Parts: sequence; C-alpha cells; structure tokens
Amino acid sequence: MVKIKPDEINLLSKYIYDISGINIDNTKAYLLETRLGKLLETDNCSTYKDLYYAARKDPSKILEKKIIDAITTNETLFFRDSSPFELLKYKIVPEIIDARSNPNSRQVTSSIRIWSAACSTGQELYSIAITLKELLFDVYKYRINLLGTDISNAAVAQACAGVYKKFEIERGLPPDKLKKYFSPNGIGWKIKDDIRKMATFKTLNLLEQFNYIGKFDIIFCRNVAIYFTLEDRKKLFNRIAEVLEPDGFLIIGSTESLTGVCPRFVPKRHLKSIFYQLK
Amino acid sequence: MQNLKILVVDDDPVTLTLLQKRLKKEDYEVETAIDGVSAIELINANYYDVILTDLMMPGGVDGIGVLEAAKKINIKTEVILITAHGSVDNAIKAMKKGAADYLQKPVNLDEVLLRMEKIRSMKMLLKNANDLRDAMDITEQTSAETIQNLELALSEMEKLFTKVKTILAMEDVPAKERIALALEKL
Repeated sequence: MVKIKPDEINLLSKYIYDISGINIDNTKAYLLETRLGKLLETDNCSTYKDLYYAARKDPSKILEKKIIDAITTNETLFFRDSSPFELLKYKIVPEIIDARSNPNSRQVTSSIRIWSAACSTGQELYSIAITLKELLFDVYKYRINLLGTDISNAAVAQACAGVYKKFEIERGLPPDKLKKYFSPNGIGWKIKDDIRKMATFKTLNLLEQFNYIGKFDIIFCRNVAIYFTLEDRKKLFNRIAEVLEPDGFLIIGSTESLTGVCPRFVPKRHLKSIFYQLK
Repeated sequence: MQNLKILVVDDDPVTLTLLQKRLKKEDYEVETAIDGVSAIELINANYYDVILTDLMMPGGVDGIGVLEAAKKINIKTEVILITAHGSVDNAIKAMKKGAADYLQKPVNLDEVLLRMEKIRSMKMLLKNANDLRDAMDITEQTSAETIQNLELALSEMEKLFTKVKTILAMEDVPAKERIALALEKL
C-alpha cells in the first residue's frame, strides 16, 4: 500500500474539505490511506499527489465524485438506534398530523414533509417510511412526502434502487419486518414498491445553499455534522432552522449536541429521547 | 469461535460416510441425512452453520429444496451444493438463490475442507464486526445519555440566566431589590 506523505495529507484534507465539507485533521490522516488507497490503483495514480491533480484536472468531476463516495462514512442500519423511530411514532407524527388537519373533517389540509438530510444508502428514510406505514392505517391519504439526500452519488444510487446485501440488512431489522417490506433479490433484498414509492432521493451537499428544497415538518440530521468543523456546523443548523416549519421537529444523532452550535433550537425531552424545536 | 456445525445431505451412503468422517477428523460437528426430506426435518429441529448437500436427490426434495428451506428457517445458515460434473447451470441457479458455494463431483475432500475454512473465517469476521457494533452501541448509548442530560440542563440554565438578566435590567426597581430578586431565582 502506498504511504501518504505529510504534504499530501494537507493537500488532500484541504481538497476534501473544499468538495465535501468533511474535516479531516492530522489525527485522522489514516482515513485518507484506508479510504482512498484503492482509488490509487483503480485510477492509475502512483502517489496521493497524482490522485489530487488527476481529480482537479478532471472536468467531468467523475474522480471528485469517486473521492466523495470513498471518504464518506456509510455506516447506517435499518432502525439504527430505535429511539428516534419510537419518538416519531408516539409523539411527532401524531402531533404533526393533528396540527395539519382540519379539526372538523379530520382531513389533512397540507402535505407532511420529512427530510433525511444525510440519508446515506437510504436505510434511515425507509425506516421512517416503514414506521409511518405501521402507524397510519392508510398512509397514502396523509399526503406524506419523504425526501432523502446525501452528498455521495453512489449512496444515493443505492438508496434509489433500494437493494441491500445480506449483512446490510440482517442487523437492526427484525425478521418480521424483513419479510413484510422486502423481497429477495438475488443474494440480497429489495425494498417493496409500496415503501419505495413513498420516498424520493437526491444528491445534496449540506454545506451549500439548500433553501430551494422547501420547508419541512420533520428533519432528521443524524451523525453527519460530526464530520464538519464547528463553524460549518453552525452554518448548517442555521440553514436547517430556515427550512424547518415553525412548529416542526428536528432530530439529531443521539450523541450530538446543539449547545454552542445553534441557539435558535431548544432541546425537549420525550421519554428517553431528545428532539429540537425552534424557539 | 466454536467449530462449525455441519449437516451433510447425500443419497449415496458411501459419499455421506466419507464426508462425515473427513469433516469429523477436522473437529467439525457433523450430522447426516440420506435425503432432502429427512434433511428438512433436521433443519427444522436444529441450527446448522453449514449444509453441504447433493443437488440431485430422490424423494421430491432436491438440493435446491434443502437450500430454500434452510434459508427460510435461518438466513445465517450457509449452503454448499454438490453438483454432477457438467451441471454448472444448476449450480449457478442455486448461487442466485443464496447458496454460498458449489462443488463438482467427484468431490475433492481437500476442497471441501478449504470451503469450510473459508466459511468459518467469514463467520468469524462477521461475528467480530457484530461484536464491534455491539460495543459501539453500548458506548453510544451511555454517552448519549450523558450528552442529552447535559444538553437539557444547559438549556434550563440558559433560561434561568435570561430571567436573571431581565430582572437585573429592570431600571425602575432599586438595585438592591433587583439583586435580591435575581438571587431568589437562582
């Protein structure tokens, strides 16, 4: 394996920061080797410097995208940490539906929009879809709109396909849910159409402007800001505040905190979970 | 990791005994079934890490039938098919249905052992990854609790400070009283 030199660490960390916002300091330099090492071989580069210049020179940006795909962490599971989904089921969705319904006819008067801001390969958004399907008798009547976005094209492509390998699915997903919502697909599993059609996926860089995507009632932004600098985290959550409905809900990763990051949100507790709302 | 528990299924008693003896010699835990029907009975009653089964068997349940039953009962069971020489098409069909591997007749015993060793190391890696995830989950849960409690405590504190600030800024109240009021809040 080709060793990365100190000047290459600086060059590539800065480049990766510029294209993705992911902050790789010197203590995490090993990530560059373990995650980009393979690209040296596949793209015929003998050093990391070569890889950097090849990516910079490539007008199609294909190599840039490959670097983003390689450097992003796609550790995700169906129902990763069950508490946000319990929260969704017992607190957030009932409240949002109440707030968006006509008290007389009990009909929802506006669509309900949910955003998984770093959806990776789609597990989080599909877990949300499954939760909604199980909670609401006729989920389609509620005009629920699910959007998943991620910076990695490869992750978004897999999310769109909804196809998962055995090991990506066996953990986290109970067997009854697996049988109910997935069908065997070769040596893996494919999400069934009734769940698939509830979701839309797009590529999006969270550090660029995104207010064009509209407003949301519920936003999941879990375990992505941890890769950003404090300054970028501040910018991100301020922008999230802009696209969250005034009575909307924000859910962040269970070990993340908004203290000192965004004073516009206040933390609230429901049973064992925390969610955030605008002040 | 414990050694693999293997079920060998073959309607030819000679092959069956041969495979059983060789695998037992390597310390694998081995059980046998003489056809697909009795294999399924055993699979229903016990968990096997690996099922090594002949593809063509009499009695209405062939190797594919065993494969499908095994995967339905426990997806973690790995199945290796033994196919007649030249019937690679069937083997590929089986692989598509989730078989881990296939072997061609006549079965080379060393090859069987190599495949078993491969499955064993794969299962060990998987177990290791799962153990790591478990450890990560526990760490994550514990730190989440601490962080969330701090987050709420800080938010309460912030509210309190805002109140105190408002009281201290009340110009129409004498300074002494303001301080007394503020102290009361704290």
